[in-house]
Amino acid sequence: MPAVAAVTACLALTSCGGGSTSSVVVSGSSTVEPISIAVAEFFTAGNEAEGNEKVSVSVDGPGTGDGFELFCDGLTDINDASSKIKPEQIEACESNGVEFIELPIGNDGIVMMTSESNTAVKCLSTGDIYALAGPESQGFETWAEADELATEVGGQGDLPDAPLDLIGPGEESGTYVSFVELAIEDIAEERGQELQTRPDYQASADDNIIVQGVQGSATSLGWVGFAFAREAEDVTMIEVDDGDGCVAPTETTIADGTYPLSRPLFIYVNKSVAAENDSLVRFVDHYLGEAVDSVADVGYVALSDTALAETRERWQSRTQGAA
Amino acid sequence: MSVMSNPATVGSTAATERVRRSITGGKADVKGTIFMLLMLMALLMSVVILAVLVIDMVTQGRTVLTERLGDFVTGSMSSQPEASGILQGLRGTFWIGVFTVVIAFPLGIASAIYLEEYAHHKSRVARFIDVNIRNLAGVPSVVYGILGLTLFVKAMGGIVGPNSNGRSVIAAGLTLAILVLPIVIITSAEALRAVPRGIREAGFGVGATRWEVTRHHVLPYAAPGILTGTVLALARSLGEAAPLILVGATTGYLSGGTEFLDLGALTDRFTALPIIITTWAGRPGEGWVSVTAAAIIVLLVVVLVANAAAILLRNRFDKKRG
Repeated sequence: MPAVAAVTACLALTSCGGGSTSSVVVSGSSTVEPISIAVAEFFTAGNEAEGNEKVSVSVDGPGTGDGFELFCDGLTDINDASSKIKPEQIEACESNGVEFIELPIGNDGIVMMTSESNTAVKCLSTGDIYALAGPESQGFETWAEADELATEVGGQGDLPDAPLDLIGPGEESGTYVSFVELAIEDIAEERGQELQTRPDYQASADDNIIVQGVQGSATSLGWVGFAFAREAEDVTMIEVDDGDGCVAPTETTIADGTYPLSRPLFIYVNKSVAAENDSLVRFVDHYLGEAVDSVADVGYVALSDTALAETRERWQSRTQGAA
Repeated sequence: MSVMSNPATVGSTAATERVRRSITGGKADVKGTIFMLLMLMALLMSVVILAVLVIDMVTQGRTVLTERLGDFVTGSMSSQPEASGILQGLRGTFWIGVFTVVIAFPLGIASAIYLEEYAHHKSRVARFIDVNIRNLAGVPSVVYGILGLTLFVKAMGGIVGPNSNGRSVIAAGLTLAILVLPIVIITSAEALRAVPRGIREAGFGVGATRWEVTRHHVLPYAAPGILTGTVLALARSLGEAAPLILVGATTGYLSGGTEFLDLGALTDRFTALPIIITTWAGRPGEGWVSVTAAAIIVLLVVVLVANAAAILLRNRFDKKRG
């Protein structure tokens, strides 16, 4: 009981020791989360070293979409995003009077993987990927069944006659959205199909389980982010051909965008909070300054120097809205 | 103890055997033996499952626990598994335990005393309440999470977490206190019901009031049973993750949250051990696997310490009653 009394007393006084006066709340994509966490660590350590006023920083990763809901309700200061803000999300922000600054901070690649023991598949064209995992591929149980559709949509076809064990992220994941946008959207729109993957694949929210699934079958096909694929053992990263020859997913090909299945990563900063909250300004300065190496440190591909300069310019001029 | 010291039973093993043989006609009790073995297997199964879990976790988390136990226990959440620590989680879990003990225990035990000692058992209202509490004990924990989100985080956010949009350890503690309240009530009521009527009647017989009988005779007698219930409730509240996710426990990174006794920081954002475990378990790479296992071991130890404290208390009550 004394504890409750003390807590109540504290609440009545509103400030009794230790309660922080300024805070930075980051939420959004679980893909970008590790970058923001690394930045927050640098920021907190630096802040303490300089003896500045204590800043409470918290970072969460519920997903890009959920993050934007919080962000556009004004509940968070920064939203991490693994895909660009959508028109309906912009609308939601506008209707609540939340103005944002879009800052690209790095790149991620989606990697198509198969088991190391599968030597028949080295390179897939985007058409092949559409034919294997797109909305029209429902029911295909072997790779070869997708041949006809693959050639029809401009792929190479000539796929092995082996069972097709598909595994990938579930619909709630940012990786799913990016996969659809990067690998499926163009062809699906042309053919008047729904913008989605085939429904009959093994879906998991946990990238580790996807990697395990790919390892577990000799003729598997799975897709995850580059950071996870690079850590994975006993899997082959498949090269992807978007009409300009096969490109393997590497740091370089993802950073310069030649690898077809790569995507930019963003943070979205609440503009009006940035105008009032000095801690938030210092945090973003830090994000684009000393801590920018975190992008590469946690497994993603850093921006090129020119792209980074552009991002810094967007922040310095507080450029509002999406590019 | 009175039976054992009876002189008639001393050295009577042979006699018991003789009587049993005359009843069974010298045949082996096959059914009885099979039954006993089945029961033993059931018991072994749960022991084996627990052992496998503990061994698995200890093997995976061994390096963390042996090489940097101090740093691990006093460190903060981090992007790198090698630098990760669980102090913020321990703090959150500690306060959730405090709220459970301070709010759920007195409220639950008081409710049970009213239901068992004061309310008319046959009254419709008492029966209605009783049935409802039993149902509440079976409600999934996420549902309590939603309750906590609407009631404490959203409606009372200005009080429980003015600087964290209501997502504070106070909101979490209150939510979990409510979550375990029905468990405390039910187990305490069962313990009170198990007190022989004769004890109460003897009390009333010498002119004691209902309160005096409850305070001096019924409660001490029921104390061990009540404590068992509270141990279960505390362990449950320390281990729940689902409601905390809804109440808004921070999953990724938190800069503060390391000072255990800083009451002012109770309204700040928080995290807790089960949340840390859930988050780390989903991260890629060997490093996260071992810190997750180590965090699980620490959580098991925390729950064990809480249980041990309650068992010591129970033994004390048992001796008093003896």
